[in-house]
This record gives sequence, structure tokens and C-alpha cells, in this order.
Amino acid sequence: MPVLLLEGLLLVALISIAVSIIFEKNLLACTIIYCGFSFGAMLLYIIVGAADVAFTEAVIGTISTVYFVIAIKSINRRCK
Amino acid sequence: MMDRKSKIKTAGLVLVILLAIAGGMKVGSFLPVIGAHETPANIYLSNYYIENAMEHTHAANIVTAVLADYRGFDTLFETCVLFLSGVGTLMILFSKAKVKDKTLLKKQQEEPAEPGEKILREETVGSYGGSILDAAFRIIMPIVMVYAIYVLFHGELSLGGGFQAGALLACAYLIDRIVPSFESRMGEIKEENMLIVAGIGTFLYAFTGILPMFFGGNFLEYGKLPFGRLVQGGAAGLHAAGILMIEIGVTVCVMAVIMTILEVVLERTDFDDD
Amino acid sequence: MTEMIDKLEFFLADRGIYMLSFVMLAIGIYGMVVCSNYMKKLMCMNILQVSIIFFFLTFGQKEGGTLPVALAEVLQAEEYINPVPHALMLTAIVVSLGVTGVGLALLMKIRDIYGTIEEDEITGKGGGK
Repeated sequence: MPVLLLEGLLLVALISIAVSIIFEKNLLACTIIYCGFSFGAMLLYIIVGAADVAFTEAVIGTISTVYFVIAIKSINRRCK
Repeated sequence: MMDRKSKIKTAGLVLVILLAIAGGMKVGSFLPVIGAHETPANIYLSNYYIENAMEHTHAANIVTAVLADYRGFDTLFETCVLFLSGVGTLMILFSKAKVKDKTLLKKQQEEPAEPGEKILREETVGSYGGSILDAAFRIIMPIVMVYAIYVLFHGELSLGGGFQAGALLACAYLIDRIVPSFESRMGEIKEENMLIVAGIGTFLYAFTGILPMFFGGNFLEYGKLPFGRLVQGGAAGLHAAGILMIEIGVTVCVMAVIMTILEVVLERTDFDDD
Repeated sequence: MTEMIDKLEFFLADRGIYMLSFVMLAIGIYGMVVCSNYMKKLMCMNILQVSIIFFFLTFGQKEGGTLPVALAEVLQAEEYINPVPHALMLTAIVVSLGVTGVGLALLMKIRDIYGTIEEDEITGKGGGK
């Protein structure tokens, strides 16, 4: 099974998600894209074989997304 | 049409990516091939861990054995770092947030509540997430908590451990804090008290390390823990008991720190649900 | 077709994966430099951390190895993935959450003092209230 090919494809997807975070103007959209990014990172860790790390990343990604959303509530949602 | 600023941004990004590709090609020439068995990282230390972890600690999950037993000193200070991040968050935001809409609050208090308006408000302000989320969180929350306890106590046999269990317990609290309305919440804990709980967790870890020193062992030498009669399996069983003790400490610390940060950040935000 | 896949696999194993993780690292650093919004800077820092964690985890990979959870009493080191990078990175992820929390606390403080979290507005004002 081509494990490395899968890893490479996922990495390319993650890189494009990261680029879209840089160019996005809406902070709430940024946060939701970041949630997707951490989910992709979790898949990547599973493919590498680090199931413990993937488990942690799944939970921590959710919690940090919630932190960001709560912080956005009190600041301006648009950015330059 | 792109304006000038985003054009510069895109050009810079392409340049940086090209530079990184060139650097990666160069670096890849002296790093080992991925998947090879004879790389320096795979032949010296890790083989010892893999072959002896089961025998030494009765922990089938080798990652937990390395994390909590062979490298317990490392994890102790990682827990301390997490505790300090909780302390730092509370210290930075210690001064109380100024109430922005004081006039609004006063107006609401002074207004004589008309009976019809009151009923309307009770209907609309039922919950932040609507009735569906309000009903769903009651089902989800106990499952998450039971799963967290399972992950904690089976951390040495299957995937999981202290960090994950603490984060899951904090997730349950997070659901409770965010989804339901103020009235149906489990209860509010002050963040200073939560930080004390985190300190207790870190202390439990350090105490597990110090305890063998009174019985002729070294720091974190679980084989010399004093409750040998309670545990089966000799030294390896004692190691498993020590791993469980420090995992409980890590769980308490992680849970309390995540809850502290959540409370501190929530206190500064102004939820205007009008 | 299979020949091409084999060639691509060899290229990825030799240097392709390292190259891609370097690109992700560079994007994280670039985002931290370019984005003027502090919250975006925090997100880019998290991207950087993911790339570094992945770079560490690749060292533990073994061809034909399974997850590092023991399946038998007698263990062969060849059959299991190297657990040491996993144990190191597990704590790194949890600490990254603490770092995010401290960063958000600083962000709220900046918002309280300056009224904005855009970097160019803050430096343009030159010193707050």
C-alpha cells in the first residue's frame, strides 16, 4: 500500500489549507478553516503510525478552535 | 482584480515556497530515507524500549511506558510547563474586565418588568444553541466523561493516557459551559479555585516521584513504592501502579488548566444575546 | 503505472516528504511575518507547530511496522514503529495548547489597551492611550 503517496497528498492538501488561512479576510472563516487543518493533521499522524498523537491532536484541535471562536466574539471579525 | 498589497503577498509566498523546496531538496540529501530500518533513530535506544517495556512495566502501550516511566522526569516538567501556562494566563488577565455597557445594565434593572414581557423573554432566552443542542448536550456529555475515565484507566493497555483523558474531561465541561443557558448549567467554578486543582495534580505527580525516596529508591523509581502487597506482579506491577498514579495527576492538571484558560477568556468576552 | 508509483514513492521517501514539511514550515513562518492580525499570527504559529511535529514523527516510521501497542509477550523491535518520537511529540501538542492560551490572553490584553488587534494600526498610533 502506498503509504508515502497518501502522506504526500495529505501534506499538499494541508499546505493549500494553510495558504487559504493566510489569504482569508474573515476571522471566523479562518477559525473554521483552522479546525479543518487540525483534522487533516490528525489524519496525517494516523498514517504516520502515531495513533496516540493523533488522538491528542483531535481533542486539542477542537478545544483550541473553541478558544479562538470565544475570543473572536469580542473583537472585530474583519481583518486586513 | 488584486490590489498591490495582496500582489506583493502572493509574490512573497511563491518565493518562500520555492526557497523551501530548494532547502528541502538539499536537506533531504543527508537525512535518512523514510521507512528504513537501519537509521540512527531506530537502532540504539528504541529497540531496548520496545523489547523490554512489557516486561518492565506491564504496559502494552509502549508510548505510555516511555512517556510515564522511562522518561517520567521529562513529563513531570512538561506538566509543570502546562501548569505555568495556566498561571500565566490568569496573571495576564487578572485585573477584572471593565463592564462596557453599564448604562444598559442599569436600565434593565430599573425597568419595571411587565408580566407579558417576562414570559416572552423566558421563551426566547432558553439556550444559546436552541432547543436541539440543549437536548443533545445532555446525551453527549456523560458519554464523553465515561470515555475519558476509560481512556485514563486503560491508558497503559490501549491508546490514550493522562493528557487525552484530561482534555476529554475538559471537553465535557466546555460543552456544559457553552451550550446550555445560564439556569440549566451544572455550576460555575471560579478560575482561581481551578488553578489550585491544577496545582494539586502537579503535586500528585511530584509526590509519586518523592514517595519511593523514603523507602530506599531513587526519584520516580516506581519499583520501590510502598504498596507492594496491594499489587500483583512484583516490580512490574508496582511500575503499572506508579504509571496510573502519575496519569491521574496529569489528568487533573490538564483538565484544570484547560478549564482555567476557558473561564478566563470567557470572562473577558461580552456575550450580548439581544 | 505501477512503475511510476514506485518511482514517486522512492522520491517521496528519499526527500519529497521532507521537502513538503519544509514548505509547510516556511508557510507558517511567512504567515507569522506577513499577517498583520494577531489572531492570524497565532493560527500560523499552530501551523508551524504541526509541521515540526510531523517532521519529528517521520523519523519513527518503519516499513512494515505496526502501531507501538504490544500484541504479544515476546516482542521483536523490527515489527513496531519507533515510540520515542511519539512520546516526545505527545507532550509538545499539549504544551502548544498552553501556548495558544497564553497568546490569547495577551491578545485580549492588547485589545483592552489599544482597542484593536491589527498590528499596523497599533504601530501607527504609536503608544496606546
